[in-house]
Amino acid sequence: MDLLKPTRSGTVGIVFAVLGFVFLPILASGQWQQILTSATCFTLAASGVAFMYARLNMVSLGQVALMGVGGWVMLRMNHWLDLPFEVNLAVAGAVTMAFGWVLALPALRMRGLYLALITLMAAGGLEVIFSTFRFPNGGEGFWGVMPSVAAPFRRPVIAESDGAYLRYVIAVTLLGFLVIEAHRRMAPGRAWAMIRKSEAAALASGVNITYYKAWAFGLAGLLAGVAGGLLAGGLGLLDAATFRASESIMLFALAVVGGARLWLGVVIAGVLYRVLPALFNNWSLDADLTLVIFGAALLHALITAPDGLSGQIFGLFGKGRRS
Amino acid sequence: MMELHDLTVKFGGVTALNAVGAQFTKPINGIIGPNGAGKTTAMNVISGFLTCTGSIRHDGDEIGKLPAHKRTRWGLRRSFQREQIADDLTIEENLRVILDVLPMSAAQKRADMDRALEATGLADRAGEQAAGLATFDRRLVDIARCLVGKPRVIMFDEAGGGMSREETERLGHVLARIPDLTDAITLVIDHDVDLIRAICSDTLVLDFGKRIAFGPTDEVLDDPRVKAAYLGIGETA
Repeated sequence: MDLLKPTRSGTVGIVFAVLGFVFLPILASGQWQQILTSATCFTLAASGVAFMYARLNMVSLGQVALMGVGGWVMLRMNHWLDLPFEVNLAVAGAVTMAFGWVLALPALRMRGLYLALITLMAAGGLEVIFSTFRFPNGGEGFWGVMPSVAAPFRRPVIAESDGAYLRYVIAVTLLGFLVIEAHRRMAPGRAWAMIRKSEAAALASGVNITYYKAWAFGLAGLLAGVAGGLLAGGLGLLDAATFRASESIMLFALAVVGGARLWLGVVIAGVLYRVLPALFNNWSLDADLTLVIFGAALLHALITAPDGLSGQIFGLFGKGRRS
Repeated sequence: MMELHDLTVKFGGVTALNAVGAQFTKPINGIIGPNGAGKTTAMNVISGFLTCTGSIRHDGDEIGKLPAHKRTRWGLRRSFQREQIADDLTIEENLRVILDVLPMSAAQKRADMDRALEATGLADRAGEQAAGLATFDRRLVDIARCLVGKPRVIMFDEAGGGMSREETERLGHVLARIPDLTDAITLVIDHDVDLIRAICSDTLVLDFGKRIAFGPTDEVLDDPRVKAAYLGIGETA
């Protein structure tokens, strides 16, 4: 496939991102700008777990925990050195990518349930570390935690207001999606497709399975790290409860509900994860009710929609065009 | 020349291949035998999917010690009993994935793919998604994959399995053209004796993991031991 040739779905996605970039900060008020920023960060993280599932059939249940690693590094860098936001973000992404590789090492020879379990255990370990040592907030020492107040967080020079920062996060998320799509169209994407078919098929194609699986883990880690760094920038500080192992399971489940193969599915996952609970709060409903809806939606996706809600939405438009 | 020397594979107490050896010198060779004879095991050993004792050489290169994916990069190609092409990819991408890791220029890769697609009659459909292909077309893609990237050894594992008579004939024509398209030594595993007789110069016959005959195909197929093995009866006098 030509690297730069736009697909119909891709074109719709870029238009969608541009519309969001232009109009969301205008339409949303202060609190909702932060909620949408958070939802966009989780969309970026979900894109990593979704591409691993859709392209390699690998279930990784540690993505939100890896976001926590990215967020931790971002806060640590922010309070330690006076570097630009983008440099800190790049470091957060790179460190999390390396972290993803380290976590992946024992998982590279595993598949299916065992792979899912080992990534979940890694997420559990990170949850303990985050709960014990918390996130840097400008304190002294390596862990950088001080009681009560937190030091200020420096956002990008071009995006200091909430509205501008939402635009910034949307732009970075779009870039993340384009990186995944570029991979899909190049040698790694083809190698992943063969691995997904079967390891025998991959070996018979000359694909080094360990190398390309590690590459996938690294890319997913990079996306999680950048997403965590952006989340830190949105809120200014992070809480360990955000990165519990159960949240990684939830994000993966929502990627399945939305549809892991399509960009829209990942966006749906991010929106369901962050926007729906906020809406319930707004309507004075218990936000935990969303779990019931998520459970029903997951059943629906598993039983009737292999490509999730996004597959059904694109299917409807396809049907409309044909008729 | 490709030489299998003393190949032995054991699964626990079962000996799947028992000191099998053969020297393949002709462009197209057959490997036949009744079910459970060890044909696919031999192919998996040559591919590097199974470990064995013994050696596998090709024109002096010892390939038996290479990991499986490096054997493909060296020039080993194979198809599977149940074709293994990726549904997510187009026909062309299923070929390109093999070329991705080979040190060839973009122009060489393009020409190589075009030649393989032309030879298998898929040139006009290169951009089609593999998921929508019929069984026979998927088989052709599997064969086209074996033709790209300067192959040195090509192995087909029951490429004609489940095909109609007409499809098998068409397949035979494609396989018979391989010596014109590549310099590879081709090994064809199949139950279809007519196909083997039509395209293979030499044939190795296995039974219960042992070599029971090897030589010119017509002679081998007339060998009483081979007939006995296929009919499941004792050797006739």
